[in-house]
Amino acid sequence: MNFEGRKYIILALFIGVSIIYSFKLFYMQVLDDKWKLNAEQISEKRREITPPRGVVFDRNGKKIIANRPYYNLNFIEKNITKLDTHALAQLLEVEDTFIRWRFSEIVRTEGEYKGKSNYRRNRVYSFIKDLSKEEIARIAPELYRFPGFFESPTSMRAYPFANGANIVGYLAEVSEEEIKADDFYKRGDQIGKAGIERYYEKELRGIKGVKYLLQDAQNNATQPFEGGRLDTIAIQGKNLTLGVDIELQAYGEKLMQNKLGCIVAIEPETGEILALVSSPSYDPNMLVGKRNISENYPKLVTDELKPLYPRPLQAEYPPGSIFKLTQALIGMQEGVIHVNSSYPCNKSLVGCHNHPTATSIDKAVQFSCNPYFYAVTKRIIEQNKVRSVFVDAEIGLHLWEKYLHSFGLGIKLETDISGVRAGLIPNVAFYDKWYGKHRWAFSTIRSIAIGQGEVKLTPLQMANLSVIMANRGWFYTPHFVKSIGDDGPLPKFKVKNYTMVDSIHYVPVVEGMRKVTEEAGGTARRARIDGITVCGKTGTAQNPHGEDHSVFIGFAPMHNPKIAIAVFTENAGFGGTWSAPIASLMMEYFIKGEIKDKAKEERIFEADLLPKKKK
Amino acid sequence: MSRDYSLTKEMDWTMFTLYIVMVTLGIGNIYSASFNEDAPNLFDFTQNYGKQIIWTAISLFIGFIIFLLDSEFIRKSTSIIYGVVLILLILVLFTPPINGARSWFGIGGFGIQPSEFAKISTALALSAYVSTVNIKLQDKKSVFISNLLILVPMVLIVLQPDAGTLVVFTSFLFVLYREGITYDPLIVYVINQFPGVRIKKTLIGSNFIPILFIVIFLSIVTLLINENEVMIPFTYIPLKGVEIILFTIVILTILFVLIVQRFIQKRERSKLIALGIVSALFIGLLVFFVDFAFDKLKEHQKDRIELVLGLKEDPHGKDYNRFRAMSAVGSGGFNGKGYKEATLASPRSHHVPEQETDFIFCTLSEEWGFIGSIVVVILFLTFLIKTVQIAERQRSVYNRIYAYSVAMIFFYHFAINIGMNIGLVPVIGIPLPFFSYGGSSLLSFSVMVFILLKLDSERKEVLR
Repeated sequence: MNFEGRKYIILALFIGVSIIYSFKLFYMQVLDDKWKLNAEQISEKRREITPPRGVVFDRNGKKIIANRPYYNLNFIEKNITKLDTHALAQLLEVEDTFIRWRFSEIVRTEGEYKGKSNYRRNRVYSFIKDLSKEEIARIAPELYRFPGFFESPTSMRAYPFANGANIVGYLAEVSEEEIKADDFYKRGDQIGKAGIERYYEKELRGIKGVKYLLQDAQNNATQPFEGGRLDTIAIQGKNLTLGVDIELQAYGEKLMQNKLGCIVAIEPETGEILALVSSPSYDPNMLVGKRNISENYPKLVTDELKPLYPRPLQAEYPPGSIFKLTQALIGMQEGVIHVNSSYPCNKSLVGCHNHPTATSIDKAVQFSCNPYFYAVTKRIIEQNKVRSVFVDAEIGLHLWEKYLHSFGLGIKLETDISGVRAGLIPNVAFYDKWYGKHRWAFSTIRSIAIGQGEVKLTPLQMANLSVIMANRGWFYTPHFVKSIGDDGPLPKFKVKNYTMVDSIHYVPVVEGMRKVTEEAGGTARRARIDGITVCGKTGTAQNPHGEDHSVFIGFAPMHNPKIAIAVFTENAGFGGTWSAPIASLMMEYFIKGEIKDKAKEERIFEADLLPKKKK
Repeated sequence: MSRDYSLTKEMDWTMFTLYIVMVTLGIGNIYSASFNEDAPNLFDFTQNYGKQIIWTAISLFIGFIIFLLDSEFIRKSTSIIYGVVLILLILVLFTPPINGARSWFGIGGFGIQPSEFAKISTALALSAYVSTVNIKLQDKKSVFISNLLILVPMVLIVLQPDAGTLVVFTSFLFVLYREGITYDPLIVYVINQFPGVRIKKTLIGSNFIPILFIVIFLSIVTLLINENEVMIPFTYIPLKGVEIILFTIVILTILFVLIVQRFIQKRERSKLIALGIVSALFIGLLVFFVDFAFDKLKEHQKDRIELVLGLKEDPHGKDYNRFRAMSAVGSGGFNGKGYKEATLASPRSHHVPEQETDFIFCTLSEEWGFIGSIVVVILFLTFLIKTVQIAERQRSVYNRIYAYSVAMIFFYHFAINIGMNIGLVPVIGIPLPFFSYGGSSLLSFSVMVFILLKLDSERKEVLR
């Protein structure tokens, strides 16, 4: 038998397999991208480099938010051999049990995927974060005894002045929601949680750099991918320059020690906030790093005096008599009163103190005559445009509200810190809800005339009112950052806002404010400064919960004002007693750089106005 | 030996050139696959590439000796060689195990694997036995003894154990098939056991070997690509699992018919076309059946089959090795990433396991892309066709059987090794001839080729 034909079967087998393999190779290598993607996933590693955050300076170029090197103590489990947990605990000055607990916590926080832990024995984890230079100097020389452990430097915030905590805010690790919302962040990254750090997060955080590396089967980087052609460098965040004068801020915080309340000082010409004191405050360095935060944050939160509460931005207080300024201005603009309008001090309408009759606007401001402004406000609200007093009051109140909004009252001042509140200017809807539609008239709501009752302002708004008085009718939205890098402030802070009152009407009111500090019968003689004309207005906000709050707003000098200020001291009684002198000291310190009247300063430093039960 | 015999004149220089080209490419490839920056010299004999060069030198030297021998001497020594290798296969079972198998004799820094040489000795023994004058592969005794010659070394290799080489030994069945072996008596006997059945002859019995292997190969491929999904090239029509194979069969059948129409004489055409279509239908049904049957299996039975196929062996998860190897091959693209520029099958990263030996093809096709891969496939195909051509021109049956043995052994290594690199064959650890790093395999493949060249060069001298 001849079987030579079978060679064709065998040759067919060879050729067939070769053809099938060629097709398969062509498909895998040329047509199908799947394997290329798989290969990238297996072999390439994207390493992000977080740049240092931008640095923040005050108006005089002093560094108020700086970066300081800190250290993490890291480990790779694979490299750990014969770990003496007791010795390690002693080195780190922790309980022995902490070591084991910390390992299990790291594994736990890594989570799991499809029933398998994400934790990897060959990956780097931070055992302890944010060690200071001093701590690492003690620990690092001993680390040779603990193979697998090593330190790595990180950059953290430092606040050289320890002032202005409510301005600068603080950083903390990003939350899961924040990671989801913005793919800039990876777990463990820092993000601004309050203050400037939060509002200017995008400017301060900079641009992350990316390094593409090739990795081996153990996930170790071996060499730059494509010679580093695709890599980008990390770019540090932009530096910010604040309008804040950190020394004025520090001085303000010192004046406010042992007092509840706030100081807001603004440069009228620019709207830049010079100082924003919230008392009591805290040292912002207390909230640097995870360890500090977990130790100090609960303390600050539970503190009865609420140091974390940014009072100047969020506390809403009845303004008291400083509100009379707006009534006078609106009255004149509406033409219901004029410069020389005179109203008797009729104490049957509303209580007042003893003073000569106010025969003009400036005197009314000087004496802060309650019945006078009661009459003024009545004329604003009741203009007899329609017959029904109720409908008439509705029209009047609506007009009045519009005026006040133009002063930045009752609306949010869009400053560059989040969480600012609007205060309250009661409007038609508000009273309709309270009393019912057409169930109220001026007599029902008259307490608004003198800044009591429902009216509430934030100290920032009070300071801004003072700016308006200083500028005679306009303001820039108060803001902290005068320049992002070299680019100036945000555009919205370059828009001049005019009030609905013409600048001419400010003249008599400002004159009244001068008399408040300079002439006999003025309510704030304590605000006087030698050689500088101070304009001001006191207020005493009735407080149903205890002693009245003391308010003062003002600016100086009268012409070409350099500083406008609002001081609010809780439970301090009459405005002229405490808030006026504090304001004058601030203004003097800012304008002259020193205080002449040391006794006046001493009196404030020593005053303890904290509520007794809270002490 | 005749008076005018001259080795240089009679030697098949094409074959020899193919050998030299492949060995050279192999060394270049190993240099890239196991490059050590601390020892960049190609001739650094502490490194894999240096060692491979030494083994190449040894191989050429032994080749030279083989050329000096008389081919009659080789024929006459066959039984001694077969016996010696069997003794070595027994002795190696008493060595300490390396990686769980007793396959190695360690000599200094080098190791020798007797199972590599068992392929040669078995090839020689089979040639000697079947070429004996009174042996006919149609009678039961001859069939039994020829199968026994293959089976004895296989049993010893199972004991090591060395699954890869074991599989390669089944290649000899194809050699016997070419020589006309028929299992018909056995099959007829089995079938006639059914009551009322009386047959004398089956077509299956004489073609038993290729049919069996096609069934096994296609079953395995069916299971391996069970969950794969691909697009038909240049379209967006997805194919899943079995559909891929069925699609390929349809394409191949059409190609087959076209080729037959064009190149085959008229009277042969209809018969061949009928045969082709019947085979295609048969294969289609088979694939369908395997897929269907596998789906009907219980979960633990599936798991066991997947384990055997190497789909589940790795702690990193199902398919780790195959997945890594395929990623390396597939990422090579058309041109490849460039010599020594592999990112996966690279000595720096170790993403592909066993990358200098079983998965050497990854480095090659990642660095040289489709172009490089297809060159290697063509080189091997040329080598195989050339070997068959050599086999068929032998006057001596001994020579022919030996040449077919060489062809089939090389085919097995080629098909299984590249097949597992591209995911068509389960992961079976056998080397790619001349390319994989390893002294024993290089030496044994070289000796195989040199004996073939020597026998072929003297083909005109002998009758049987």
